[in-house]
Amino acid sequence: MTDLESYRAKAAAWCESMVPTFGKAARKGLSVEKDLALGRRYQKAKFDAGFAGINWPVEYGGQGLGHIEKITFEAEEMKHGFPNVYFGISLGMPVPVLMQFGSDREFVKERVVKALKGEEIWCQLFSEPSGGTDLAGLRTRAETDGNGWKINGQKVWTSWAQYSDYGVIVVRTDPTVAKHKGLTYFWVDMKAPGVTVRPIKLAGGDSHVNEVFFDDVKVSDDHRMSPVGGGFAVALATLMIERYVATDSAGFGPHLDLFVDLAKEVRLNGRPAIEDGRIRQQIARNHAMRAGLDSINRRARLMMQAGMTPGPEGSLNKLVAVRSRQKLSELALDLQGTDAFLFDEHASPKDDWASSWINAPTGRIAGGSDETLLNTIAERILGLPQDHRPDKGVPFNQIPA
Amino acid sequence: MSILYDEGQQAIATESRRALEARVSKEDLLPLLQTSGQYHDGFWTTAKEQGWTALALPEAYGGLDLGLVELGLIAHQAGRTLSGAPFLTSSFGAAKAIEIYGSDAQKARWLPGLASGETIGAIAFASGPDALPATPSVTWKADRVEGTAPGVSGGLFADVAILFAQDSGTRTLLIVDLAGIERRAVDSFDNSRCIADLLFAGTPAEALVTGDAARAAALHVLSLQAVVTAHEQTGGAEALMEIARDYALTRKAFGQPIGAFQSIKHRIAELYGLVELARANAIHAAACEGQDDFVTAAAAARLSATEAYDTAARDCIQIHGGIGVTWEIGLHLHMRRARTLALEQGSSFFWEDILVDRLAGDAA
Repeated sequence: MTDLESYRAKAAAWCESMVPTFGKAARKGLSVEKDLALGRRYQKAKFDAGFAGINWPVEYGGQGLGHIEKITFEAEEMKHGFPNVYFGISLGMPVPVLMQFGSDREFVKERVVKALKGEEIWCQLFSEPSGGTDLAGLRTRAETDGNGWKINGQKVWTSWAQYSDYGVIVVRTDPTVAKHKGLTYFWVDMKAPGVTVRPIKLAGGDSHVNEVFFDDVKVSDDHRMSPVGGGFAVALATLMIERYVATDSAGFGPHLDLFVDLAKEVRLNGRPAIEDGRIRQQIARNHAMRAGLDSINRRARLMMQAGMTPGPEGSLNKLVAVRSRQKLSELALDLQGTDAFLFDEHASPKDDWASSWINAPTGRIAGGSDETLLNTIAERILGLPQDHRPDKGVPFNQIPA
Repeated sequence: MSILYDEGQQAIATESRRALEARVSKEDLLPLLQTSGQYHDGFWTTAKEQGWTALALPEAYGGLDLGLVELGLIAHQAGRTLSGAPFLTSSFGAAKAIEIYGSDAQKARWLPGLASGETIGAIAFASGPDALPATPSVTWKADRVEGTAPGVSGGLFADVAILFAQDSGTRTLLIVDLAGIERRAVDSFDNSRCIADLLFAGTPAEALVTGDAARAAALHVLSLQAVVTAHEQTGGAEALMEIARDYALTRKAFGQPIGAFQSIKHRIAELYGLVELARANAIHAAACEGQDDFVTAAAAARLSATEAYDTAARDCIQIHGGIGVTWEIGLHLHMRRARTLALEQGSSFFWEDILVDRLAGDAA
């Protein structure tokens, strides 16, 4: 057994042992608050077992291992539906960025360890009502205020802001220069006076995203994580962190086996639906697509193990997997006909077709819309030209609103 | 076998690409379309000289003892440059059938020639839309075959064929010496494939596998070929994606390269996705040779490669506009080849059924 195989075995055994306390069955029927409390206990257990911050430095409470161990653990963890979703953003982007760019190192260390233990949660305040894809066009502003800064404006689609203790934020500090040159990056205390968080109920019924309002919120200059005017580079660094996470070729929807089972159960025109050519074709196509993504991901892992940089094809996963999950979910409802009407708002998109279907549009928009991802592939991988951008080089305050 | 290419394998890819780009051009391939019964000699000579015919065959019979992964790399390059004959795949399939299911005498008789490329092999399983018919059109009785094997790629020049036949309902995998048999050339939309109907009239044949095992054996041979073809299709799709990208960067309309319009750049980005999925599935399938899930992996590779090549052919021509549909530019060579490869070794319908039978747990 290689070191990695024994690491996987250890991770698998630990995850298995957590199922009675934190698995799907234990979570069933819990309110969000109770589930979050369970999640904090799970995160603490993970920390104690040495599976939190796997590839983070030991001095920050991490394990000092490689990226490959991290995604190996995540691939095992993902099988069980543990309540870890509340920490995904926090530990995925803001906290690593804090580790990299935070100026007060003692403060940083304390925050990182608390975040790893699930005691504190961080959010990422990037998107605004005026735009998400066009990040550099943001309008929330920070003006100098004594020795520090004063923030005014509004962020939106901020995941888990209602439970967050801190957040990282990009704001405009100079509207007289080109849009991406006038931005600065800070961290903020989400409990500070002037911060108002309002959950947004999404189409599927859940409310994990929020509007966040800033009214004269004061931050001292040691909250600043980039040079003044240098915030865009740190924002990009945030988005580039760990492009290779443990991905899911099911697009965070149900496994194809569940569709096959359904097709074997249901009868169409008096015979099992699995014998119907239309259904068979969709199963075959979906399998081929998912198998391709799985193979891409496996190859990326092998490359990382061999000390190489994985190819850019890993960026296909979300684009390809989520939109086909959307269509397959529609088809699964078709298969059930009127039996599909019964809807459980609290069902998991990973094993319930209606839940998968109604939440799929979120997946195609959040974290880079399909269209943005296609642009990225075309421009970054294939070298095709950028779209025409009339605001290029124009000072922000002269761009027509 | 790893899905990560080692240095030796990467060298095979580079070297075969160099050799083919130097020896095959669309100027050679275009006239072949209008000539029935000719293949591109430059391609086949290169294949023999470079040892590609011997690559995946056993050393004992003049082979190089490499496998599907390496042959796949060659096929990928052949797909990029539009190989001028189908023999690399058809001879490989015939040789593997003999290697796996043949007697020592049959191996000694056929494998050295197939490895050197002096002997050309063909696979004749299909009948119309049926890649592995329940009732094969060729019958076998008392060591002789009767009937017609239709639309056999490479059939016009093959010296030996592996046949799927039946003896009063019992299916059999046969080996037939094609010397002296009657062949009817099929004037096809992709003439360098040298497609022919093979007409058997009391032709002597030897059985490789008889009874229930014959279908599984034939499916295995077809799967081996399908993985080679999937690489070839992926190579073709990749070349088309690059041609489309290059054209979109140079062709201007409304004062900017057409690649700056999302309708064009997104179409090319979608091709990138199809090519990478096809590549990943093809590499995975090649690495699965000899494992239980090989046929499943081959089916997935086949489906995504067919989709990638057909779509790339369609979209690359569309992106070119008027110039794309001219004879001269030759994009139709890819369009023709994409369809030919989609039909050889069983259509998508066939592989969808193979795949779903396995996924649903009722594979025959």
